[in-house]
Amino acid sequence: MSAASVDPVAEALKLGIRAYQFTLRPFIGAHCRFHPHCSAYGLEALSEHGALRGTALTARRVLRCNPWNPGGYDPVPPAKKT
Amino acid sequence: MDNKRLLAAIAISIGILLMFDVFNRPAREAQRQAAQNVQQSQTSSVPLPQANTALNPAGVASTGGNDGAPITPAPRLRIESPRVEGSLNLRGARLDDLVLRDYRETIQPNSPNVRVLAPREDPAAYFAQWGWTAADGRTAVPGPSTDWTAEGGSLTPATPVTLRWDNGAGQRFEIALSLDANFMVTAEQRVVNTGAEPVQVLPWARVRREHTPVVAGYYILHEGFVGVLDGRLRETKYADAKTEAARRNGGPALEQEGAGGWAGFTDKYWLAALAPVDQAGRDRAAFRHTSEGGQDRWQVDFSPTSAVTAEPGATAGFATRLFAGAKEVHLLDSYTSNLGITDFDKAIDFGWFYYITKPFFYGLDWLYKLTGNFGVAILIFTIALKILFFPLANKSYKSMARMKTLGPKMQELKERNKDDPAKMQQEMMTLYKTEKINPAAGCLPILLQIPVFFSLYKVLFVTIEMRHAPFFGWIRDLSAPDPTNLFTLFGLIPWDAPAFLHMPAWAIIMGITMFIQFKLNPTPPDPIQAKLFAFMPIIFTFMLASFPAGLVIYWSWNNLLSVAQQYYIGREDRIARANEKALART
Repeated sequence: MSAASVDPVAEALKLGIRAYQFTLRPFIGAHCRFHPHCSAYGLEALSEHGALRGTALTARRVLRCNPWNPGGYDPVPPAKKT
Repeated sequence: MDNKRLLAAIAISIGILLMFDVFNRPAREAQRQAAQNVQQSQTSSVPLPQANTALNPAGVASTGGNDGAPITPAPRLRIESPRVEGSLNLRGARLDDLVLRDYRETIQPNSPNVRVLAPREDPAAYFAQWGWTAADGRTAVPGPSTDWTAEGGSLTPATPVTLRWDNGAGQRFEIALSLDANFMVTAEQRVVNTGAEPVQVLPWARVRREHTPVVAGYYILHEGFVGVLDGRLRETKYADAKTEAARRNGGPALEQEGAGGWAGFTDKYWLAALAPVDQAGRDRAAFRHTSEGGQDRWQVDFSPTSAVTAEPGATAGFATRLFAGAKEVHLLDSYTSNLGITDFDKAIDFGWFYYITKPFFYGLDWLYKLTGNFGVAILIFTIALKILFFPLANKSYKSMARMKTLGPKMQELKERNKDDPAKMQQEMMTLYKTEKINPAAGCLPILLQIPVFFSLYKVLFVTIEMRHAPFFGWIRDLSAPDPTNLFTLFGLIPWDAPAFLHMPAWAIIMGITMFIQFKLNPTPPDPIQAKLFAFMPIIFTFMLASFPAGLVIYWSWNNLLSVAQQYYIGREDRIARANEKALART
């Protein structure tokens, strides 16, 4: 479902990620092992897949973003056609 | 792009808000001061409320008024221990005079001791009181102008004192007071019925604050009503209690029945709170606000859930404890374990990350006792945390040899995608993956560190150990803002700079270390973020200028350690780059 632009929960979560990018990120620096970066991935995942699946995808991505994962190019999977 | 413009607007607004807060804080303080002065001048002329005889715990709220002008000066019972001194007003059984012998107002050795409780005549009126309401509507109960008798000398840890009053109708009221070696008073209220009829009374204990204290107003520090009621921590700000009481038409801002617990008022470092002695029994507690002649009155009270009955020849009682003193963590802990007061340590605002902040406090406190200086303890503790997290940040660049062989490939990749940075980054990531090397530590370890370092910051904010603790050089109180100021050239210009022109040395050091740290971090790809990124050190330098020096020192030190860590981690990167260059030359 890609009518996520009207999903208020997803929008709120995206605002949260935006807030992170503008406040905390400057402090801790960008240390992502992936492309796109986790926060960008989160924004895209929430837009593409809505609040629920978007959050799950983002959580999965952040958990994978650790020194024991090789990292690399890891785009958001495309939304299923309905 | 509209989206970007919107984000820029948001970013700028946040910046302005932060600045506004900083510049406005002194003004707000001044306002509060003025309000207090007004209050001071009015206290004497405002008529005090009449006693309310209605049976209903809300009636407790106004039983404190004077029934008439007292003719004789009120007799007092002296209170004395190695840690506190003061007195109890025998007229009305009000404990309204208590100072802490171990704490002084300022760092000057001859400055006055910190006062926790103060009489009604004082602009900072704040007292504890024990009393009864006649539940049967006919029993004569002691009132606010009742003169109690006390036998013996002072109330000390070795000598408990019992207050007595006979209503002349067959009932004797008693308040048995005892004091421990620290800040706890135990009060056992009894009504001894020698009459022929049973009597029903509602005993109560209250802490009442007849002024609104100056609060520091920091977002991460709670000041106001606090308590653990029915197993739950309740924190209500003064302003919120007022709104809530108004919404309930003068009713309690919060009323809770439950087993045990405690409730009172917390300042940053001081607490006055009540707790039923029997923590297993059910009691009723309330947070209240009333307005008397335009003055705000705040009250926390405890009472049994219903009136108690004393049959002829029998006694009915209610026992509470009153804590009035400094929120020393170990002391509060000991009251929880020895007296069974539920979660008494939560009077200290350890916050959401309680299970991190509390152990951090113990660690810091241990280092403090070891080194004898709290500032040094902060520095050591921060290093220890950084070392603990270092493996997470450093598990990268494992294979120097691989990085070397990668050099030419990297060079070729950069050449190929000179005009498309996004594509270049994508290909670089793919290269890292196939070669099984990756220079970044990853988001997870970084995100895990956020609550940890926030917790340390929070502990430093709330802990009383930092109060009046000196550090090297000009810092004589880690909990106060750094007194030096750039705008007086650190004292060279004899000029009393306005409060908003306060730029202490440590804030400048903090700003510089933050600037260096940001320089080492990769710049965000988004241009607006990059702009904000550049301004952040300046914004924070101003924001932290008025913060406790200990926090600014912690922040500077943390930045410095981050820089050192990044420099260390990056050393192999630099060698690799040098090799790349060498290869490119051949």
